[in-house]
Amino acid sequence: MIRKLVLPTIFAFLAYGFWISSDFKEIAAGVAIFLFGMLALEEGFKAFTGGLLEKILQRTTDKLWKSLSFGIISTTVMQSSSLVSVITISFLSAGLISLAAGVGIIFGANLGTTTGAWLVAGFGLKVKISTYAMPMLVFGIILVFQKSKELKGIGYVLAGLGFLFLGIHHMKEGFEAFKDTIDLTAYAVDGYSGVFLFTLIGLAATVVMQSSHATLVLIITALGAQQITYENALALAIGANVGTTITAVIGSLSANIQGKRLAGAHLIFNAITGLIAIVFIYQLTHLVDSTSALLGIAEDNYTLKLAVFHTIFNAIGVVVMLPFIGKLVDFLQGYLKAEATPEPSKPHYLNKAAFELPDTALAAVRKETLHLYDNAAKIIAGGLSLHLEDIHSEMSLDEMVHKSRKVLPTDIDRQYQDSVKGLYGDIVNYISLAQGQMSSEQTEELFLLRAAGRDIVEAIKDTKHLQKNLSIYLDADNPYIQHEYDNLRKRLASVLRTLHEVRNHGHDSAIILSLDRLKLDMKEHDQNLNNSLSSLIRHDQLSPAMSVSLMNDSSYAYDVTRNLVQMGEILFSNAELQLKEAERSLSLDDDEVSDVVEQHHQHKDKQS
Amino acid sequence: MKIKKLMRRAEEYLNSDERKRKEKRRYLKQVIRKLRQHEKLLKQELANGPDDDQAQQLKKQILLAHSQRKKGVHLLKTLKKKK
Repeated sequence: MIRKLVLPTIFAFLAYGFWISSDFKEIAAGVAIFLFGMLALEEGFKAFTGGLLEKILQRTTDKLWKSLSFGIISTTVMQSSSLVSVITISFLSAGLISLAAGVGIIFGANLGTTTGAWLVAGFGLKVKISTYAMPMLVFGIILVFQKSKELKGIGYVLAGLGFLFLGIHHMKEGFEAFKDTIDLTAYAVDGYSGVFLFTLIGLAATVVMQSSHATLVLIITALGAQQITYENALALAIGANVGTTITAVIGSLSANIQGKRLAGAHLIFNAITGLIAIVFIYQLTHLVDSTSALLGIAEDNYTLKLAVFHTIFNAIGVVVMLPFIGKLVDFLQGYLKAEATPEPSKPHYLNKAAFELPDTALAAVRKETLHLYDNAAKIIAGGLSLHLEDIHSEMSLDEMVHKSRKVLPTDIDRQYQDSVKGLYGDIVNYISLAQGQMSSEQTEELFLLRAAGRDIVEAIKDTKHLQKNLSIYLDADNPYIQHEYDNLRKRLASVLRTLHEVRNHGHDSAIILSLDRLKLDMKEHDQNLNNSLSSLIRHDQLSPAMSVSLMNDSSYAYDVTRNLVQMGEILFSNAELQLKEAERSLSLDDDEVSDVVEQHHQHKDKQS
Repeated sequence: MKIKKLMRRAEEYLNSDERKRKEKRRYLKQVIRKLRQHEKLLKQELANGPDDDQAQQLKKQILLAHSQRKKGVHLLKTLKKKK
């Protein structure tokens, strides 16, 4: 009920305000234009999150100082700490960065956001900012109409900045004119009660506008026009800083537990920093005065002093909290607990927060499909009556296959239902929801990832066919058939082992492509089998029924291999999209594999 | 004349098909380079005199990398022809 009333009340309040004061209208329009500029800016930066994102992130967040600087720089460039924190949450949920790195970025973002105050206070109020806004808007919008994604992105960024400047201009004009009619300073409140009251107002304003930046600009322009007192402005700035975390909290609602922890860290950091600032506000004011004097800022230049205050109090927050970053991470991990052991059938990385960032969504789908493969590999190993841990160990394959003579009771159907089908369904569903925001290349990659999932499912189904005869002949009295089936098991175990090695090798195009060797091996094995089969039948070593089973199962094994190699070539490469495409275009198809096998035979024949 | 040249350059750059083709060639070259290095490494290993089984495996891998590289070079040529 209350929710339904909020929007009409805000509308009514604003409409009444516009009716009684055209200056208020101008200020509100300024805020609206400013927020629109932020939207355009976000849209623009999204165009540039293509391809290299994952790599840059891995390189720039492996140490605390790096993640801190990443936060500072990205927030300075994008001029929005909320945007950076929402992006960070989606990175974290997609498993691209660690929680500690995420917390570092958030701390950095809090410092980066202070540059906005400097820009507006130092530059925006002195220069006639609208003269810069107009050309930016015109050039920006022309670029927005261009076909190329990059130019479009630049257009949005330019237009976004133009709107930001225009918004600031209108806010400034509004407050200047307002000054003549109403004196808001009459409502100023002194002392601690004033600090608390204005902190709350700043918090509320930021929650409504979803942008501490907009609040801060509003505060600075109002302060510039002497519509609020300096002390109250400081309190408003503290409130804005706490309010900005609400965006992150909302952004984390759809994220997984890691994302929620990060939003928690953001809230704790800003709340503690705010509390410190409120408690020591008078000491801080002195500090700001002496720092400003050092920097050569005039005694009565309150707008620049506000920027100094904003920077100092955020810096104090970082300095105070930085030594406790490990404790904070521990606390969050203890307080916001993940489900005891994450269910294998539930998605670990898919999160709605990543929808806005195509690359992060792609990374999430890739990680989740790898998770699907992990579940599948266990089933396939079980189907071969082998343990996946043994396959991944250093143990010789011959020894492993010879030792495991007991059929491992593996209900492939049930395991498929439990740990693969539902998860694959979730991935497919996520893919269909995520593709809206993507470029054609990204959509293609998404479809390939979906195909990789299908390859995994196919491999399981083929293993199921294999399992039937394999269980019969695993401990057969006939040593010949046993030997042939052991060979099949060995081959498939070698496929799983090689996939494991390539996956953990780190990215190298040649290594990814070397997976084709598995297809080659399997094809060769199939051909050798065909050759030896007739002789085995002739010598009564195999019954015709056995040989039919063996032929069928050998082709199933080839299918399992082909599916898994195909999957590996898509899934194990974490390069940029174009490089992946180039890699895939060089992978050999069935006919080419046969050619290579033939060449290899010819080489061998020549030698002998 | 200079302006005309500049215009042509700009047009070429903005023409995304052309740009995509060039990008494709660039990445393809990168993969081919990696394959060549890989092949070289395998050949070195083979020269170190491994046992028979290993030698056969290495030969197979060399053959594979070579075929993949050949495929890449062929692809590179067709991409060049389109110009």
